[in-house]
Amino acid sequence: MAIVLDHLNKCFGSHCVVNNVSLEVRDGELFVLLGPSGSGKSTVLRMIAGLLEIDAGRILLHGSDVTGVSPQRRGVGFVFQHYALFRHLTVAANIEFALRIRKTPAAERRRRRDELLELVGLVGLEKRLPHQLSGGQQQRVALARALAHQPSVLLLDEPFGALDAKIRAELRRFLRRIQSELGVTTIFVTHDQEEGFELADRMGVMNYGRLLEVGPPMELYLRPQTEFVATFLGRANLMVGECTPSGVKLGPVVLPFDGQVTAGGGERRVQVLFRPEDVAVKDSPDALRWPLLGRALVDEAGFSGSIQKIRLRLPPLQRVRPISPAVPFGADYILVEATRSQHQARQFPLAAGDQAWVGVRRTHALLHPGLSFLAVTDGSPEGAAAVELAGSIGRLAHARLTLLGLDPDEPRMHAHLEQLRERIGGGPAAVDLRSSPDDLSETLARETTRQPYDLVLHALPAEGATAAAERLLESQEHHLLLAPSPPRPVPQRVLISVAAGEAGKYDVLFAGRLIRHLGAAATVLSVAPEESSEQWLEQGRRFLAGAARTLSLLGVPERTQLRRGRIGDEIRRELSEGGYDMIVVGAPLPDRSRRISLEGVVGGLLADLRDLPVLIVRADLGALEPDRPPAGARAGENTGASKTLAGSVPPDARRRKP
Amino acid sequence: MRERERGVLPGFGLALGFTLAYLGLLVFIPLGALVLKAATSDGGHLLSTVLAPRTLAAYRLSLGTALVAALINVLFGLLLAWVLERYDFPGKRLIDGLVDLPFALPTAVAGIALTTVYASNGWVGQHLARLGIQVSYTPLGIIAALTFVGLPFVVRTVQPVLRELPAAIEEAAASMGASRLQTFLRLILPELAPAAATGFTLALARGLGEYGSVIFIAGNMPMKSEITPLLIMIKLEEYDYAGATAVALAFLLVSFLILLLVNMLSMRSGVRAPAA
Repeated sequence: MAIVLDHLNKCFGSHCVVNNVSLEVRDGELFVLLGPSGSGKSTVLRMIAGLLEIDAGRILLHGSDVTGVSPQRRGVGFVFQHYALFRHLTVAANIEFALRIRKTPAAERRRRRDELLELVGLVGLEKRLPHQLSGGQQQRVALARALAHQPSVLLLDEPFGALDAKIRAELRRFLRRIQSELGVTTIFVTHDQEEGFELADRMGVMNYGRLLEVGPPMELYLRPQTEFVATFLGRANLMVGECTPSGVKLGPVVLPFDGQVTAGGGERRVQVLFRPEDVAVKDSPDALRWPLLGRALVDEAGFSGSIQKIRLRLPPLQRVRPISPAVPFGADYILVEATRSQHQARQFPLAAGDQAWVGVRRTHALLHPGLSFLAVTDGSPEGAAAVELAGSIGRLAHARLTLLGLDPDEPRMHAHLEQLRERIGGGPAAVDLRSSPDDLSETLARETTRQPYDLVLHALPAEGATAAAERLLESQEHHLLLAPSPPRPVPQRVLISVAAGEAGKYDVLFAGRLIRHLGAAATVLSVAPEESSEQWLEQGRRFLAGAARTLSLLGVPERTQLRRGRIGDEIRRELSEGGYDMIVVGAPLPDRSRRISLEGVVGGLLADLRDLPVLIVRADLGALEPDRPPAGARAGENTGASKTLAGSVPPDARRRKP
Repeated sequence: MRERERGVLPGFGLALGFTLAYLGLLVFIPLGALVLKAATSDGGHLLSTVLAPRTLAAYRLSLGTALVAALINVLFGLLLAWVLERYDFPGKRLIDGLVDLPFALPTAVAGIALTTVYASNGWVGQHLARLGIQVSYTPLGIIAALTFVGLPFVVRTVQPVLRELPAAIEEAAASMGASRLQTFLRLILPELAPAAATGFTLALARGLGEYGSVIFIAGNMPMKSEITPLLIMIKLEEYDYAGATAVALAFLLVSFLILLLVNMLSMRSGVRAPAA
């Protein structure tokens, strides 16, 4: 491996610009790091060059650890967006600079300089000063200069960002040629996906300091795993539908999907992606050879060179939530984007207002459905603290966030929510606002039926916490995070206290999925009763080993702890010793009437934990799923397994200890 | 430049007219009067005044001290500008403000203060005296005073250039293996040179004409520590207007030539390093 990045971290205060980035770049590869501005891609590049210190992690260049090595001794070539040529030196002197520093003999230096001038096609311009060259020429000089000392790694930081489109395209081809000629391992940073597609052997997509996905451009475009990558690379139609053994269900329509996609239980929510070019538009349903999405109204039809772009309005599909393209507020339709060749456009001309039948040729279901949070506030400072926690976790997890305000005075609440949204800023995938004059249970039931959430955040109630938590867990199948007030910083040490057993596995999995985004470390605690048998202890140890594997697979630094004694006491003891700033407990399985009773251990903890966020995980949530590519065939098995679990265990044993 | 395209802001004619009138009133007419005055006097008398040993000594002293002071200012002005631009430390804004003080302070005050401090019984002077160095009433004192009044020039001309210098230049050099010293000497210093040269010219010009601060510390002994402006004053007080004019005119000519030379030199290096 030419370049290995091992869990790189860089934070400025509480703002992490690079969050646990690990990456391997192969010898001779041209790797493109793609992301919107501020995503941390340039920071990663500068850390590789040694221009920026890292907080944690390691960097290996060709097998040797260079983490603490000065930039002078790393042997990298760096090309900057604004060229950074030495203005008072000629082109030749610029190119020779690194060789002069190395005291290379003059003859050798001139030979190398002429070689490079020829390579970048600037022979005859060596006596010019940088300001006498065009932007494109200057960047060629910068490239030649960066290559002069034969670096082991070439790093380019948005090198064509300041140039116009035509020169960019020309320089792309030029760079591609030079790179393959020299075979030098290269990382190219850009925010332009077209540039990425054209250049990359493989590419990685970054957002908010995290490296989301890595793969060949085609693979990432056709089979992205995250919502961000799906919508950032090219245009996307992205909706939340259901995954069934027969295909992906969008409302009444079952669409084919490209191979093994998901595991998890039965019919579960999944994000479905189809690209505009996979949308078929015909004048009759019979002419469509593909599954029919419905009859649409043409909203816009525009010319854009070789293709025609169409925006179609479809009637809403039941239990389908559109994500992209975004639907205007209050609209009762969903939007679908389509592209056609000009040939197709001539055969079946369409203008705004026309009707057409819409089908889908190919769909892809996302492996990682993004997390979605609901934060509930009543306008009090405690409620605002819950929203703030939702904001900071949502930002790190890039979750979709809905702020739900409960207040008879809806306009006032709406203004308050706007303020809260302002304070959260742009980190989360989206921040939606809802306000309701009704009471909590009713509103929550309505809201969670309308669309499912992974996590509901609410202020830790000062009194009657147990009853309140039970009420919050009543509707639907979300987890619950109770936030203390005043707001605490993002948790860094999490205690996961769960019972050894099937349900506990789910708890660890969801907790891991959430806290890996926080960059927090986790301790898994299992408490065995004082008089428990050796067999029980052995089972506990096996469970903890499994939990540790699961967490480390998710990239969460983990520790395990097996204690004996009364559960509540042991948890409190661990809390007081460990310096934790968040606790995760498993909710007992619901009874026959789907009611969850928190009396017992969780209730006892809620009664006296005042200053920690408490995450209550319920095990029976269908959307739970390991963050690793599961085999497609497992979908059915898993359903069976969890049903067996629920059905075969005697009712009294089902009530779990946290 | 009629053929030039019209700019966004009109009024080229007006602006040029104003410039010429303004310069005429403030520079050309007084200088013209000076030349006229000299022209109406007796040529032999003028020449003998200008070539008198006392006058030549004054010229030498004025030029020499101004040159040394300007060089000192280049050196320490660069350092000061560097520190003020590159580092953050408590009191930075205060120090940045203090740099301009020599502009605001009446130069006579500065002269008196310097004399007090550097006199052989002053705070600093007594220690220097023990080492056998006398500052007040010697050319050394003149250099001290001129360094003081010329301090802001180099700092203020170099600072903006340093601020605009892209950090990427240093990073590029580092990634190519250049040490910090190499980066500074080979890349940063050449970038700063034109600005430093401008600062040097300004400080030199200021030093040539400085009067107020110098007369207190110089001791003003003819042939030893008497500067040209003072000599001119003395001639005036002796009602030797023609002599004063002659000394002034010759000094003006020499100063002008020197400034022109320095300006041309820095222009040439300016071409090599355009401000863009």
